[in-house]
Amino acid sequence: MSTPAIELPAVPYLDISDPSFAMQSEALRTAREQSWYARTNFGLAVLRYDEVSKLLKSPKLCQGSAKWPAHNGVHGGLFYDWWTKNLLVLEGEDHHRIRRLLNPAFSPRLIKDLVPRFQDLANELIDAFIDQGGCEFIRDFAEPYATRVLTILLGIPESEWPKIARLASTVGLALGVTFKQDLDKVEAAVAELYEYAEELIKDRQANPGVDFVSRLVLASRDGDRLSDEELRNALVLLIFGGMDTTRNQLGLAMQSFIRNPEQWELLARRPDLGGKAVEEVMRTNPTVTWVTREAVEDFEYQGLSIEKGTTVHLFTQSSGTDPRAFPNPELDLLGEHAPHYGFGGGVHHCLGHFVARADMSEALPLLARRLANPHLTGGDEWLPDSGNTGPTRLPIGFTKRA
Amino acid sequence: MKTIDVDRSLCDNHGQCAIAAPAVFRMNSDGVLEYEETFDDALLDEVEEAVDVCPVQAIFLKD
Ligand code: HEM
Ligand code: SF4
Repeated sequence: MSTPAIELPAVPYLDISDPSFAMQSEALRTAREQSWYARTNFGLAVLRYDEVSKLLKSPKLCQGSAKWPAHNGVHGGLFYDWWTKNLLVLEGEDHHRIRRLLNPAFSPRLIKDLVPRFQDLANELIDAFIDQGGCEFIRDFAEPYATRVLTILLGIPESEWPKIARLASTVGLALGVTFKQDLDKVEAAVAELYEYAEELIKDRQANPGVDFVSRLVLASRDGDRLSDEELRNALVLLIFGGMDTTRNQLGLAMQSFIRNPEQWELLARRPDLGGKAVEEVMRTNPTVTWVTREAVEDFEYQGLSIEKGTTVHLFTQSSGTDPRAFPNPELDLLGEHAPHYGFGGGVHHCLGHFVARADMSEALPLLARRLANPHLTGGDEWLPDSGNTGPTRLPIGFTKRA
Repeated sequence: MKTIDVDRSLCDNHGQCAIAAPAVFRMNSDGVLEYEETFDDALLDEVEEAVDVCPVQAIFLKD
């Protein structure tokens, strides 16, 4: 089956807005064997590793999320202005200029200095529930951890995390199917985040230090710098892009290890495998289930004509477990595997990945060292599999390790 | 003078280096990285930035 799309005229079809649509399903595995792509009710879906890898970086495709507000009948307002001017949707030199100015603050060398704070935070959260033999993993760990990491990075008082978490989640409603109904709430949340960001910027402009936001405020390149508005938009994007993703990915990590208890034991014995644990979880169980692109021109790829304007969904979990690239696709902390696309790829590759990798690779081994035999105790609730997924409630039991 | 070595077995053609240091790294029309091994000293800062931002840390500077 070297060119199945041509041998088999029946290209698979997937209804990706069906609430019961499942990424990790026989239907999807069958589709992936049949063809490298599927048609969906909303554009094409790319299913295999090589094709996802190439198309993710293809100059023929651009960010597909830019027109999201317009698709939902939203043509103005605070959210619209912010969304259409942020790094995630900008293209070409407009994108690269901002990315260049933001990059230095995200240097892996600077992020490393935060590791002891990530460890203290993880232990503090675990201390609070370890004697109870169980917890609601999202409420008691994933959400406060993901949010407080961001407050540590941005230098916001950690006590304000519940408010920041609520605002970020409210802005996140903009990406859901009920966007239009939620518009007033979303606008109010953007306004509040703007205020936060503006205050931070003013404070660091007056008293610059060596912290993360000061680095952004002072960033310059070839005589160019970020305007106050660009800085504000970027800070709100970091809050928006960094919290729910990390929370969901930690929840999915717990699910993965509950399914693979021997790997959890391995991680408990070998905390040095924390980094591998993050990669393996994101390859086999990513929160961002697809990255959306749009064809900038008509082009042909592997015998398929793709028309300008076509939406193309690059499936992350499907590509990360494609048997063509991963003969043993199961989660394996000792396996040598090709890179996954859970952080996207190409020019829009996640800007915060060093932060996310550093914080999750500390959290997972600390959890494994202290919680033996984690298991589901029922009552878990989940986001749908389309776009960004993960548990919103994950009650677990465990044995406190001696 | 330092020279650039990209480990092609690691490089995944994300093109972040070409954003950070466009004078030295560029992506060709197939989306594959091309780069100069040597560069003007004045570009050292941006080359170091490219080394930093590469998502798979595939770029190495050699003396
Ligand atoms: C596990 C956690 C995370 C996951 C799974 C994740 C995933 C992603 C993905 C898939 C993209 C690409 C989207 C696209 O191409 O359409 C992206 C972009 C981005 N992420 Fe993350 N992310 C995470 C954490 C973070 C954190 C902690 C931050 C900030 C501190 C962050 C900031 C950003 C930004 C600014 C972009 C836009 C980059 C650009 O367009 O140039 N992310 N992320
Ligand atoms: S940033 Fe790294 S992976 Fe991307 S093209 Fe440059 S060297 Fe290759």
